[in-house]
Amino acid sequence: MPRTPALIVALALVASSASAQLPGLRKYTPADRQRQQQQQQPLLTGIDALRADFAAQSGATTVYFGSNSAILAPQAKTFLTAQAAWLRRHPDVVVRVEGYGDSGDTRDHALAMGAARAAESRDFLILLGVPTAQVSTTSWGKERPGLGRAVTVLVQ
Amino acid sequence: MKRIFLPFLLLGLASSAHAQPENPAATVIAVPPLTSPDGGTRGNQMLQIGWDATQLIVADLRQTAEVMPLTPKRDDYYSYPEVTAPTFSKWRSAGAKALVTGFVQSRSDGRLTFGCYVYDVQKGREIARKGFVLTPGEWRRAAHKCSGLAYTAITGAPGIFDTQIAYVAESGVGEGRMRRIAVMDSDGYNHHYVTAGEAMVLSPRLAPKGGQLAYVSFAGGKPNVRILDLGSGQERPLVPATAITFAPRYSPDGSRIAFSMMLGSNSDIFIVGASGGSPRRLTTSPGVDTDPSFSPDGAKIVFESDRGGSQQLYVMNADGTAQRRISFGGGWYASPSWSPDGQWIAFTRRGQDGRRIGIVRPDGTGERLLTSGPGDEGPAWAASSREILFQRADTAGRSGLYRIALDGSEPRQMTIPQDGSNPDWSGVMD
Repeated sequence: MPRTPALIVALALVASSASAQLPGLRKYTPADRQRQQQQQQPLLTGIDALRADFAAQSGATTVYFGSNSAILAPQAKTFLTAQAAWLRRHPDVVVRVEGYGDSGDTRDHALAMGAARAAESRDFLILLGVPTAQVSTTSWGKERPGLGRAVTVLVQ
Repeated sequence: MKRIFLPFLLLGLASSAHAQPENPAATVIAVPPLTSPDGGTRGNQMLQIGWDATQLIVADLRQTAEVMPLTPKRDDYYSYPEVTAPTFSKWRSAGAKALVTGFVQSRSDGRLTFGCYVYDVQKGREIARKGFVLTPGEWRRAAHKCSGLAYTAITGAPGIFDTQIAYVAESGVGEGRMRRIAVMDSDGYNHHYVTAGEAMVLSPRLAPKGGQLAYVSFAGGKPNVRILDLGSGQERPLVPATAITFAPRYSPDGSRIAFSMMLGSNSDIFIVGASGGSPRRLTTSPGVDTDPSFSPDGAKIVFESDRGGSQQLYVMNADGTAQRRISFGGGWYASPSWSPDGQWIAFTRRGQDGRRIGIVRPDGTGERLLTSGPGDEGPAWAASSREILFQRADTAGRSGLYRIALDGSEPRQMTIPQDGSNPDWSGVMD
């Protein structure tokens, strides 16, 4: 979450008032802080709004795989089914499925596993009626940390 | 010719590379200071270059297990006539079995003539000689060539001194971690970056004859093999594929490149001309076939495949026929690399004890693990076939480059500016 400068200033004042009470400086209450945060919270627009809606409607944008496996588990299929339904309702949105390998794997095998996981997820979306042009894939192999997974990212 | 600072740098490098224990079976070699036929100021300049080169030759040979150089003394002035007519009795009594002499001479065109001679002190005869004409700035290459001449004359194996190493230099943390491909001489000199760092990069592979580098770039949104011309900086995709391509490796003559391409969720091995053409598919099995590496005659390819349920090593003809499994030691085997002398295949083994580097004969016999792991991978052979360069990650996830000799000595960490991974080691440059 990007914090606006105003919020950072406010938090800094809170911090300094807690350690050393400066004369004439009003003490911020938790209620003040909450009000401030609500005011600073920007409304989601454009692709951010679509991303939030996609994540909420799908249940999850990330599906996980067993070690050294590109087989979709039942829960992964549930999430992908919801993703596919959302994508069919939003034919103008383009997504990229990014696959990740296992950290204990060797580099190129991990790259291939990430690609296979992304491809299996994409194939499942297409099977459920999402047009092929709407979904691309890539792989991060084990070059980025985390568990073996496939993440559906809205790109435009 | 202000190269006064170099000897100090050189000494630092030599001492860090000197950590390995002295081998009692090593051939003792004397390397008296390279001399010059020139006189006056010019002569002094030539003697300075000669002394720098002498120390570099000693540092080169000291890294090897087979040759042990005597420490040269700068005050031991060596006369020009003695270059081609050494006093063998003197070197015999010093305990040397071999001798390297040489000279540096200035030419009227501003370049230098560099002469290098290797002698068998016992028998009192010359066993090798080589001369080079080069610019003053190229003296390091001439010294490396001279080290290689001596090493090869004594051991029969190619020297690794005039070779290059490419690797992925890594800095920063998390998803913002910057990765650039770096290329350096095998002694760490001439370190420079050949990619800018905007996109993630992997798997640099130097062309056997130098000048070109194949690597994997994520610049187009997905991993793709690119060919970079190191001279001009121009690059092109290896194949005009929209599919993911990775794991490139040159054939030993540099004419072909084997690589992996994703077809749906299936990875297969393809081969294509290094200068272009249409790729030919070599494997068709479902699952992941990757990391191809050519035999030194270019006729065979070793690769890894999980077609049988787990990653194992397979050997096939370079046209894809006669595929057969060669690894049966238990555990998973990956990232094979065929040694330049054809005798061994280095690999990464995944097991309960993590990832370790080992070697096996191309027929599957003689398997031996060389490193203790647990975060080792990506073996790359030295041109001598006696040493392997690999990547080791520590428990904090930081990775460095290590060299290990086949004789079972401890791995030595290479000094590089940042973290490093994915090393590749070139053959001897022309």
